[in-house]
Amino acid sequence: MTTTLAPSAPAGAVENDALALYVVFSANGGDYALAADTVLQMEAFEGVTAVPGAPPFVAGVVQIRGRVLPVVDLRVRFGGIPGERVLDNRVVVGQHGERIVGLLVDSAREVVKLRRSELKPPPSIVASPGYVRAVAQIGTRIVMLLDFAKVIGEEKLDGVV
Amino acid sequence: MSSVDLRDFISAYLGETEDQLRVVNAKLLEIDAAVRRGEPHPRAVRDLFRSVHTIKGLSAMVDVDAVVAISHRMETILRAADRQGGHLAAGAVDVLLEAARAIEHRVRELAENKPASTPPAALLEALDVLEVRAGSAGKSASSGLALPVELSDKLQPFELEILARGVDDGRRAVRVDFCPSPARAERGFSINSVRERLSAIAEIVKTLPIAVPHTEMAPGGLSFALLVLTTVSDEEIATAAGVDLSEVSTLGAPVPVSESAPPGDLDDEPDVDVAMPQRRNIVRVSVARLDDAMEHVASLVVTRSRLSRAVSELAQSGVNTRALGEILRDNSRQLRDLRAAILSVRLVPVTEVLERIPLILRGARREGGRQVRLVLDAGTAELDKGVAERIFPALVHLVRNAVDHAIEPPDVRTRLGKPEEGTLVLRCVARSNRELELSVSDDGRGIDREAVARRLGHDIGPGEAALLDALCQPGVSTLERATTTSGRGMGMDIVRRVVVDQLGGELAMVTTRDVGTTFTLRVPLTLSIVDAFTLECRNERFVVPVSSVDEIFEIERERVRAGPASQAGRAAPAVVERRGEVMPLFDLAEILGLPGAEARARQALLVRRAGEPFAFGLERVVGQQEAVVRPLLDPLVQVRGVTGATDLGDGKPTLVLDLVSLGASAASGGLAA
Repeated sequence: MTTTLAPSAPAGAVENDALALYVVFSANGGDYALAADTVLQMEAFEGVTAVPGAPPFVAGVVQIRGRVLPVVDLRVRFGGIPGERVLDNRVVVGQHGERIVGLLVDSAREVVKLRRSELKPPPSIVASPGYVRAVAQIGTRIVMLLDFAKVIGEEKLDGVV
Repeated sequence: MSSVDLRDFISAYLGETEDQLRVVNAKLLEIDAAVRRGEPHPRAVRDLFRSVHTIKGLSAMVDVDAVVAISHRMETILRAADRQGGHLAAGAVDVLLEAARAIEHRVRELAENKPASTPPAALLEALDVLEVRAGSAGKSASSGLALPVELSDKLQPFELEILARGVDDGRRAVRVDFCPSPARAERGFSINSVRERLSAIAEIVKTLPIAVPHTEMAPGGLSFALLVLTTVSDEEIATAAGVDLSEVSTLGAPVPVSESAPPGDLDDEPDVDVAMPQRRNIVRVSVARLDDAMEHVASLVVTRSRLSRAVSELAQSGVNTRALGEILRDNSRQLRDLRAAILSVRLVPVTEVLERIPLILRGARREGGRQVRLVLDAGTAELDKGVAERIFPALVHLVRNAVDHAIEPPDVRTRLGKPEEGTLVLRCVARSNRELELSVSDDGRGIDREAVARRLGHDIGPGEAALLDALCQPGVSTLERATTTSGRGMGMDIVRRVVVDQLGGELAMVTTRDVGTTFTLRVPLTLSIVDAFTLECRNERFVVPVSSVDEIFEIERERVRAGPASQAGRAAPAVVERRGEVMPLFDLAEILGLPGAEARARQALLVRRAGEPFAFGLERVVGQQEAVVRPLLDPLVQVRGVTGATDLGDGKPTLVLDLVSLGASAASGGLAA
């Protein structure tokens, strides 16, 4: 299953309290969100090919539309252990600069619109590794907005982190 | 014009602008070289003007104001320079290069579907300052004197200066050829009388005797060229010297600065370039489309391997498959042809990769204060676009290293009896229709083995291969002081990663103290499809290129011996004997750290690294087939020993292993996880 997302709010929007789209998913017991313009697509999870020698949080590589992408297991990235694979598992494919990386999540929930004023700075307890950029409340749920670049590691080709 | 229309234009715009920027860079470098020699370069200035003018026109068409703002200013500076015979100050080249960078940056932004950012105010200001200077400099710059070499060689610099200044002051520099003959002497024209008469109407700067063939007109075989500055007409000069009008020629004339431009001025050129891109028999295709086509071929390859498997199953069940087999063979040949056709479309000339190197070199040279001459010998070789893009960073590292570390400062070079200016040679030769050899040679200090050993903390084995290995350790540098261009050590680890791990090529080095160093990069011309063995190892499948494997053999247990373990708790290394050679036998599953029950390795692959044999034990080699290799580009999965992934027909990636580098890291103590 492939879900192609509608383009995000017009690029020209500059008002302070602009609405923007976010993709919400759950992993390791938490609800997380990525800005929709970071997300290229979502795919059903059909297994990965493990890569020996890659960091432990890299589940492996998958092939999507002819491109081979690494998949970061968000459970492991956030300090958990790899979960049992279930039908709900999704790969959220995001882009940062030239890098395209998939995030393995427990399940994808929805696409929401949030105003900038609804995003609050993260409490220090979740802010420290830098994965969480902001938090927002949607109904009764707390959603943590992820910094995609941090999650996939800003490692450069020449090894400078 | 609606925005949809603009989007349609933009890809054509991007393509054309990139082409023009390439010209701009090349011409700026030519001018830079000329300025350093103190010469004008009128033709390059004019070409540069044309390209900038085209960029401006195209940008205005698609409303890219940021690029219009920059290119308009560049154009003004260049127009003034053109009117002054191609004179540009050294500082001007720097600003123009920066401006070209700024345009490139904005073009890239557009390519990424972002709006072009506003040009930096500092750049526009710098351009404006140059513009003003260029406009007022009309008189002070020396005008272009069209002096033939045989004359200019005989003139002292101060004489050239007098001629040039005379022209700047509004007089014409004129050459009069006077050939003494008895006939002329009878009419009262000798060289002395001619000089006398000419000096009344002109300033004689120099009289040069010139040997000419003996003819009726020149019975003495001698002629005089008189170089004069004057305000009178050619006719008056001819009369005074008693020669034909054809013997009077203008060497330089003052340039009208404020009056209307003379014919042939740049502004008169029609805007054909802008309105109608040149019609060439060339189609511009985005790489994405080519990849798409290749993708279809790749899936055909996969389908074909399924088909032939089905046919062989049929044959095994007793069906006559002779006709099917023939069709399969035809199909296979057609598939190969189709693949070759598409691959050839992806080829780009090597010169396209190398043409940016002078820019890199120029930047490095400015920071390091070294003088370096670049010799490019690229030939006509072509290589795959993907390979070209990957090889470029490696070349940049090698060039920077050469300038920052290898080539000595001028005073040291003089002391060593070397020319002050260092030489860097980039050569490119196609070794075969599959492989390309690129070499980067400098005539610098060579690599100091002891210094590298000190840095490494231990001795380096004999031979250049061992020294290269040591250099490729991350963070090893022979220069203590960091520079901005290559501050983080020599970056040789990156060079090796690109050449060996990503491209599956080879890296070699030859170095001699105080004589120089040559790095040789051998890379495949195309990536994409290789003949590969499929292996099975603890229920995982892997693929290795056939070309990397010397031999496959059954492991005979009685020929395997355990050696002493290097560390407590480490598995004892095994050695195996094959055809009289004893080599290490690694268990592939163990080296890769694969989970699962240990299974007895029954087959082994023999590979060689610099001639030295290794064997890898595994459960079995499943088969041989063509594999479409996709490189693993993301840093998260760039690991030693894995070059890419391929699809064996199940839609899942199968890893492609580089046994040579796996063997190297296994020998030095396992994969770094």
